[in-house]
Parts: sequence; C-alpha cells; structure tokens
Amino acid sequence: MIILWVVLALIGLPLLALGLYFLKAIVQGAVEGWRGADDSDDDADKPYELPAAAAALGLLPPEQQKKDSAGPIPAALTAALDAARAGDWQPAAALMDTTAAERDWNYRSVHSSWLANVAAEDDTWLLAWETARPDDPGAALVRARSTVALASSIRGAKRAKHTTSEQFEGFHRVMAQSREDHARAVALAVEGDPVPYSAQIATALGLGYPHAEMDRLWQEITDRAPHHFSAHYMALQYWCAKWRGSEKLARDFAAEAAAKAPLGSLMTVFPLIAHFEHDESDSADADGTPEMRALVDAALADVAAADPSHPHVVEVRHLLAYYLCLQDRDEAAVEQFRLVDGYVDALPWRYRGDPAGEFCRMRDLSVANAAEAVSG
Amino acid sequence: MGTTLRALRALLLLAGFYLLGVLLLALLAGADYLLILHAPASLSGKLVLVSVLLAIPLVRGLFMLRTPPDEEDAGLPVTEADEPELWRTVKELADEVGTTAPSRIVLTADVNAAVAEDARLLGLLPGPRRLYLGVPLLQGLSQAQLRAVLAHELGHYSNSDTRLAALTVRGRAQVLRTITHFEQRADNTAAREQAKQEKKNAKAEAKGKRAKEVDTAGAGITYRAMAQIYIGYAKLYFRATLSVSRRQEYAADAAAARIAGRDATASALREIPVLDGAFGYYMNCYATLGTGQELLPPRGEMFGGFDRMLSARQLELVEMRGGLPTGPTSPYDSHPPMAERVRRIEELPDDGRADEARGAALDLLTDARRTLTELEDAVLSEEVRAFRRTADWQELLDLVMAESFRAGTTPLHRAYVEYTKEQPTLPALLDLIEDGRLWQLAKRLPLSDEAAAAQGRVFREFVRPTLHKSLAGMALGELNARSLLRWEFSWERSAIPHLPPAADGTETDLDEVVAPAVADVPDTALLRALLAHDSQHRGAL
Repeated sequence: MIILWVVLALIGLPLLALGLYFLKAIVQGAVEGWRGADDSDDDADKPYELPAAAAALGLLPPEQQKKDSAGPIPAALTAALDAARAGDWQPAAALMDTTAAERDWNYRSVHSSWLANVAAEDDTWLLAWETARPDDPGAALVRARSTVALASSIRGAKRAKHTTSEQFEGFHRVMAQSREDHARAVALAVEGDPVPYSAQIATALGLGYPHAEMDRLWQEITDRAPHHFSAHYMALQYWCAKWRGSEKLARDFAAEAAAKAPLGSLMTVFPLIAHFEHDESDSADADGTPEMRALVDAALADVAAADPSHPHVVEVRHLLAYYLCLQDRDEAAVEQFRLVDGYVDALPWRYRGDPAGEFCRMRDLSVANAAEAVSG
Repeated sequence: MGTTLRALRALLLLAGFYLLGVLLLALLAGADYLLILHAPASLSGKLVLVSVLLAIPLVRGLFMLRTPPDEEDAGLPVTEADEPELWRTVKELADEVGTTAPSRIVLTADVNAAVAEDARLLGLLPGPRRLYLGVPLLQGLSQAQLRAVLAHELGHYSNSDTRLAALTVRGRAQVLRTITHFEQRADNTAAREQAKQEKKNAKAEAKGKRAKEVDTAGAGITYRAMAQIYIGYAKLYFRATLSVSRRQEYAADAAAARIAGRDATASALREIPVLDGAFGYYMNCYATLGTGQELLPPRGEMFGGFDRMLSARQLELVEMRGGLPTGPTSPYDSHPPMAERVRRIEELPDDGRADEARGAALDLLTDARRTLTELEDAVLSEEVRAFRRTADWQELLDLVMAESFRAGTTPLHRAYVEYTKEQPTLPALLDLIEDGRLWQLAKRLPLSDEAAAAQGRVFREFVRPTLHKSLAGMALGELNARSLLRWEFSWERSAIPHLPPAADGTETDLDEVVAPAVADVPDTALLRALLAHDSQHRGAL
C-alpha cells in the first residue's frame, strides 16, 4: 500500500508544482498585458499639445504639417499640376520648356518628377501632350519618369516580405518597359540636360543594373552636370547597402562628391545621408562624434552659401535640424527647424511611421532645450 | 564496434521488434499482479480494467505483425523461353556477384530495378527471389549501365561482407513491410468509418437534417496508436542498422563497378534520377494526355513513346545530368546520398572499360515492341484498357486540344457573364473592348487585395496579365472552333499552336496580336484581322 503512495508522491508532486508555476506565469502575463494595454491607450489618447514656446515662434502642430513636400511648392508648378489633373497639358509643357531654355537642371528634375507622379495615376493629359507634340523632350522625360513611378506604385512601399509576387511581377514588367522610355527621353533630350540620364538611376536601382553599368550612366550625368543634386541623391541610394552597394561604397561615393564640390552646391549633405542610411545604433553617440560635428558644420556652411531658391536647400535643412538636435546644438537646430516648419516630406522624417509627429517631437525638444539654455 | 558486433546488435533489435508486444503485455500483467497484491480491492479492480483496455490494442498489434506474403507487383512476368538474352545476363551477373539468381523476372512500368525476396522466419532465412525490372530503365540505359544497376541489386544479397550484414538488409525490408502494412490497416479502418459516416449524412440530408462534418479522427485510433509504437521502434532499428546498410550500399556499388565497369556504374547512378524525372514528365504530358477524355495513344505507344521522347530531348537530358540530388534522404532510406555514391565510384582507378557494351539495354529483349505492348496489358487496369485508342499521337493531341477549348472557361469568361449576363463570344468581347469598357469588365475578375485597392494605371497593370492570357485563350478557342488552328505534335517541345499566317505570309505571334487589344489605348484591329482570316481565305477560293 505504502509503495503506491510513494509512486503517487514522486510523480504527482512535481506535476502539481509545474502546474502551479505555469498558472502563476499565465496570471502574471495576463496582468502585465492588461496593464500594458492600459498604458498604451493612455499614450494614444493623449492629444498633441503645441508647447507655448513653440507656438510663440509660430511653429505648427503635426496636423498642419504638409506631408507631400519638403518645402513650399512654387506657384507655377502647383498650377501646372492642377491643370494636368484637369486634363490640360499646356502649363506643364510651358514649365518644362522654361527649364530647358534656362538650362536649370535642378528645377527640370523637380518639375518632371512631380508631373510624372501625376501621370502615374492618370496619363490622359500626357497622352494628349504626346499627340500634340510628338517629339517633345519634356513629354518624353515625364513619360519615362511616370513609367518608373507607375512601377513603384504597383510594388507599393512595403518591405519585400510584405510584397506579393503579383506586385513584384508587375513592378518588374513595368520597370522593364521604362528602359525603352528612358532611351527615347535620352534620344530627344535637350543638349546638355543630365535629367534623362539621372532619371535612369531609378530603373538601375529597381532592376539591379551591374555596378559597371551604373558607372557608365554616372559618367553621362557628370559630363553634363557635375553637381546635380537629385542625381547624387538617387546614386547614393543605389550605392547604399540596402540597394545595390555597400556601406563602404556609399560612404566613399558621398565623401568624394562632397570633397570635389564648390561651396553652395549642397553636396556636403551626402556624407550625412550615407551615415544616416547605415546607422543602426540605438543611441545618439555615433551622431555626436567630432567627425559628425565637422560634417554638420560643413553642411551648415554649404546651405548658408547656397542660392536661397535652390530647390533642395530645404531637404538639407531638415537633415541638419535633426543632427543639430542630436548633437545638443539646440539653438542652431531651432533655427533650421523654423526655416522648414510646415513641411515634413524629407529625410529623416520620411522614413518614419509618423513623419509629422516625429518632426514635431524633435523640434519641440530643441525649442524647450534652447529656451532653458537662454533662461539658465 | 566491429561489423559482426554491429550486425549482432541489429539481430537482437530485430527480435525485439517482434517481441515488443509481448514485452508490453508482460509489463501490464506484472503491474496488475502488483496491484492485486497491494492495492485495496475497489481501486485495483478499476485499474485492472484500465490495463485490460490498454492490452486490447497490444494484442491487435501482435496480430497485425502477421504480414500477408508479399504480393507480386503489377508487371509482365517473362520466362527464360521468352527472353533468353535477358535471363542469360541476369544469371551471369548473379554468378559474378556470388549469389543465387532470381527465380522470376517481372518487367514493370516504372524507373526501378529491385530484387525482392520472400524471406522466411522474419527475415532470418533466404527465400525465393524475384527481379523487378522497369522497362523505362531498359529504354534509357545502355547495356553496360543496366549491368551496373543489376549487379548493384544482386550485390545486396551477396555475402561478400559478412553473413549477418546480408541478414540486416533482409530484416530492414521485412520491418519496413510490416509497418507499411500497419499503416494501411489503420487507413482502411478510417476509410470504412468515413464511408459509414457519409452514408449516415446522406440519410440525414434525405430527411432534411443538416449533415455533420465527417470526422474520422477517432477511427482506427487503436491501430494508429499501435502503429506509432512499432514505428517508433522501427525507427530505432533503422537508425541502429543504418551504418551497416550504408556499408552494404557502398559494397554493392563497388561490386557493380567491378563487374560492369567504373564509368558505366557512375553514369548509371547519374542517369537514374534523370530518367525518373523524364519518365514522370512523359507520363504526365504524353502518355496520359487523353485519359481525361478516355483516350489512349495507339497500342504499344503508352510506354513505347518514352524512348522516342528521350532521343528527341537529348540536349535537355545532358543539362539535367549535370546536377545530382543532394537533399536530405528519408530516415528509412538505406541509400547514402547519391552525390556521395557517385563520388566514391568516380574516385576508383580508371579500368579502361568506358566503351564496353554501349548498345541500348532495350536490345536485350527479343522483340521490344511486342514486350511494350504486352506490358500495357499487364499493368493498365481493365477500365483504362477499354479507352479508345487513337490512330497516332497527332490525333490524340488534336482531340484533346479541341475538347480543352470547348470546356475551357477563363476568368475573363466568368467576369463577362457577371458583367453582361450573357455568354461570352469573342466578337462581343471585342466590341466591348472597342467601347472602352474593358476596365469596367476587369473589375469583375478575381482580384488580389492590392489589385482591388488600386486605381487607374496601377489597376490596369495589375489586371493586364490575366486579361492578356484569357483573351489569348479565347482567341485560340475561336480559331480552333473554326479549324484555323493547327497543333503540332512534338517529342522535343510542348505542343506548338500554328496560327493562320499574317498578311505578309510570316508566322503570326499570338502575343503580339493580343497585346494591343488589352493596351491602355485598345486596338483590336490585328485580332479582328486574324479572326477574319477564314472568310478572306474562303473568299479567295
């Protein structure tokens, strides 16, 4: 009889203990989950309140930040985009003709990019333009870039594992078509225009052109315009580890671009972008090194010397504001934040889930710290 | 541990497999005895009852161990009088290997060669042997390669290693057969239960009651539980004997290389996976092409076409031979990875026999075409044999293609019916395209979430591949119905559709005709011209 009790005790007691342990763990987990849910609810429910100091400077809350641009859009471009959406191609054509006549490649790139995005949704107006002026270089450029934009819309902006094979298949099919459109844009290009070449970098990125092909393309671009901003921006993306290059290739490319460029060309932003694209640390230590402070100083001098009407100067200021804030140079950060407030479609905010919220959070931090420094 | 010792362990484990049930029963009985001795009567009574319930599947398991004698696989038995050359080869090889020749040769219709033995006394004693020889192997191998394959199979039964190692091979085969039999019995019980429940459901439905889900999870559970115990033990046995049987495989390979030549053996090993893949493809895409419509190729061609496909696709096969399967093998498989086996053979010194017996293995048969015909009768079921035979392969293809378009409905057909409530015809669809309503119609296609959420150009790009494929299918169907389409039968490629030639006499590319019709700015002119072809053609006559 006693042997049965011994057996029962040997088997039963450890089982009982294990059961109790699991029960405790389950209850603990449930309680924590419940509390956690409670906390996050609190956070989400708390509406953003514009701090008085920021309001005093005339800064805007997140909901008033425009999420489709890094800075104000020129009135002529806005008018051309609206006309295109309404089916009228003439203002768009006039805009493209002006940049060609003035040989303003930075604005030609900006304008063609905006127009291409509109055409990727609906190209009726572009078809009308192409019919009315069959060999128009501007229309050919917008066509090529709209095919690229269309491919990107098909793929969607999600990571590869959240992208379906149907999306990839469509992306590759349309991207492949863009090669033909690029070739036509190049054939019809205005003499000296680098934009039909720099537009091809997006296709090089999407279809994974070999490095040798990218270098050949790069030669075509720099022969025409050595310090073309958007070409450098896209090329740096190509050389990044996440696309077709590596951290080393990207950093070398950016450093070389910055070293060769004259003051005011804004090329000094690319070492900062290369750092940003490959920085995976959780702390701000890597952003406050003497080297990084020197890079920020160089970019500050560059924007100060740049033509205020340069279409990309605001993008540089966004990134400067971010790094000045991380480097605890809050007064200088506030100055840059004030100059770009109202628009958030730029690095680094563009990569975040809530660009406007992130922008305002860091801006308010710098504003508060700067005020403290003054009063202290 | 030496080979003999390892084989001895295998022998003990083999005995354990058959004694497992008895052992478990003895354990239960012992526990009951202790209970009755020590526990109060009320409790012990209940526990003894439980143990009796546990004993039932054990007893059933013991009965299941009596596997029925191995049934001969479906095939064509050939006597020495039928195939003297084949028999002579097999006997000669058995002699060289140093084992007794099989007493029967059965030709089968798969890419396989095997020597089976009705071993007696749980695999302890040898019994009569049968050689199964797949005719597709004869079609794909040279005589030297076939000699290598046969020498390998016979080599398993030679006692060149140790007497006990041969015993291990026999034991493995027997255990594997037993657990397969177990699983079949369990499946049969589940199938019976399913039939019973379905019958019940049919009755319930007849009375207007809602049918229950058919659930066979519980059925055959005692069989399955027992099978699990034995399978678990069998795995142990297989693992314990793996090294012995792998050695056996290498030894059999070495014997094959010695008897049939190094190069023939290595190339045969490379060839078998290739033939296996090719034969699967052949059966799928050629031999059974018309079985859906109860059509068969001409007599003798069902398997006879295989060697024609092989010779037509030599180039493809050369590519396939380059790679060897390297994936993990099944734990039951005694064969080491193929790549490793080939490597070991190719490392042997050159024996200068590369050019021996290069003739086709099929030539060993007295009358290959007659054998292929008889094989059909031997392996096809009576039902399949009653299917209609076509005059040739081309007729088979024509009949199958005609039917496939008659029955064929593409997603576009269904979308059209939903949109217009009318049956689709190609001219009506072209009218609709010219009206610019294709994209409205496209919204009725089965769409992914991403495609359904898309607008404008993005939406059109999402649906374009489906539209293109469906429209091309409809166009082929229409041309086929008007007898404008000719399908070319080919051993080299899949069937090639030939469209009526373009106006300038060049070959028409269907994709180029269909693409403009589903473009953003649709142009159906080319497609209409293609369909109008016959009226023009007849007008010209």
